[in-house]
Amino acid sequence: MTVIRTENLGKTYGGGSATVALRGLNLQVGAGEVFGFLGPNGAGKTTTIHLLLNLIRPSSGAAFLFERPVVGVEVRRRLGYLPESVNLHDYYRGGKLLEFYAALAGVPRETRDARIAHLMKLLNLQEAATKPVTKYSKGMLQRLGLAQALLHDPDLLILDEPTSSLDPVGRKEFRDILLALKGQGKAIFISSHILSEVESVCDRVAILQKGELKRVGTMQELSAVKSTRLTLKNLPGPLIEALAATPAQLTMTQGQVVIKCPDEATRKVVEELLARHSLVPDRVETDTQSLEDIFFSTIETQPTT
Amino acid sequence: MKTALLIAGDSIRALLHHRLLLGLMLISLAVTVVFSILMSNFQHNVSADFLDRMTTNAPSGAPAMSEADKRKMRETMEQGSSMFQAMFYQAASFGGSLVALFIFSTAVTAEVRKGTIRVTLSKPVSRNQYLLGKYLGGVVVMMGYAFVTSSAILLFAGSQGLSLSPAMKFAPWLMFCRQLMLGSVAMLLSLFVHPLIACALAFFAGNGFYSPYNPLYYLLPSYGLFNSFFQFLQGTMLTGKDVLWLTLYALDFAAIMILFALWRFRSKELI
Repeated sequence: MTVIRTENLGKTYGGGSATVALRGLNLQVGAGEVFGFLGPNGAGKTTTIHLLLNLIRPSSGAAFLFERPVVGVEVRRRLGYLPESVNLHDYYRGGKLLEFYAALAGVPRETRDARIAHLMKLLNLQEAATKPVTKYSKGMLQRLGLAQALLHDPDLLILDEPTSSLDPVGRKEFRDILLALKGQGKAIFISSHILSEVESVCDRVAILQKGELKRVGTMQELSAVKSTRLTLKNLPGPLIEALAATPAQLTMTQGQVVIKCPDEATRKVVEELLARHSLVPDRVETDTQSLEDIFFSTIETQPTT
Repeated sequence: MKTALLIAGDSIRALLHHRLLLGLMLISLAVTVVFSILMSNFQHNVSADFLDRMTTNAPSGAPAMSEADKRKMRETMEQGSSMFQAMFYQAASFGGSLVALFIFSTAVTAEVRKGTIRVTLSKPVSRNQYLLGKYLGGVVVMMGYAFVTSSAILLFAGSQGLSLSPAMKFAPWLMFCRQLMLGSVAMLLSLFVHPLIACALAFFAGNGFYSPYNPLYYLLPSYGLFNSFFQFLQGTMLTGKDVLWLTLYALDFAAIMILFALWRFRSKELI
């Protein structure tokens, strides 16, 4: 089942000097999928989230949650949302605020207290339950924000920069919670700047730039092979000469020869040369791109206007 | 309806925790009290002066104050009392109008500005429920304000030993109706323009500025109908039927404003 679907979704702000925030976005996120939504500032990530939450209206196209238009109230029964800057009603105490949101989310009264206590414990906020929200630190607010998003055990979580205010320990705890939620089959849509975090939890990622979707896919689909290292025991002299004429680099150490191919084309040439001498590498190692490499190559290769 | 009530409850809680609003309410009450004391002193001075003129300036051995003089003195004292209550009412009404404008013009816009509306509307809450809840919250707080100021008038009048004006019977309710209309206009306008501009427009959008020959006279709200100031001064009061009609007019007007507000809010961008 598709939990998020957008069809040519577009958003333009302003009249005369209009700013195109998002153009023709086509995206699908399946149930149980953890989806990373990446892009530099102003790429249109938050605009997309606001469109999914029906906080703003699309200029073109449409957005669907659980295969229903986002304008309906019912779709939000299965949705949890953590905004980028967690602004919560500061005239409550932590526990009371969660009670209010739980009532709004339709959590049955009989299970409400237990659910709140569970989340407070999960997010390490038990001590702060009776504290006014005004006294919460940024990290505590972020955790309280996550607690309110999880109150009604939603099938889909939309998280906008979820760890921006967390320290490394908080980030680790947050990642563990996300992995646990992933294990429970929840769909999670994360917009984040922290690429390592996205890489460690996401099944698929999308990269957005200047309102346009540049790339989308799994890490395997997106990452190109950076280089390949072929290790052999001995190489005949004529082969060494032939290899020297290619972009490959040869290194000889402790009776082993390592041939480093900087790209796929070189690798093919080297493999052909080895095959001509009936040689098979003892070991083949490939370096693939990290999400950071993918992100920057995507962003950098796009001409700026 | 349950969701709208939850939003209303939250709205009341927010308003009661709002320092600026509480400050405004306290100032409004303080102004009302100061007015009452000033007017009370004024009334006392007028009475004392009159008594002085009637007694001390009278030639020695003059006969006791005549019935006509006593009646005149009573009338003067009653006029003073009516003036005191009228001014008290006017101050409370003006303060209440400011409070109403503040409450209704910021009910939605403050949440949009702070960003708190995003989390609320990510729950299964429709925009209609949200706006109605916010409006309802404001109405309850304004009712509370009308109750507090009316109680203050009664207490001060009682403490000064003044007889209550007949106008007092319906004045708090009419004051509340006026504030309801004012608030409804402010809430609607705040969905289009900055809350401060919305407040100013709502306050000066009464039809009192136009003649009955101007079409605007019939389109704009008649706040003046709800002003009991002259009833206090003249010691008259409206009939129950008049008040019923005025109430229906206020409710009708507020309902129209809220329907427009709901229509506008449905398509408003909330960022």
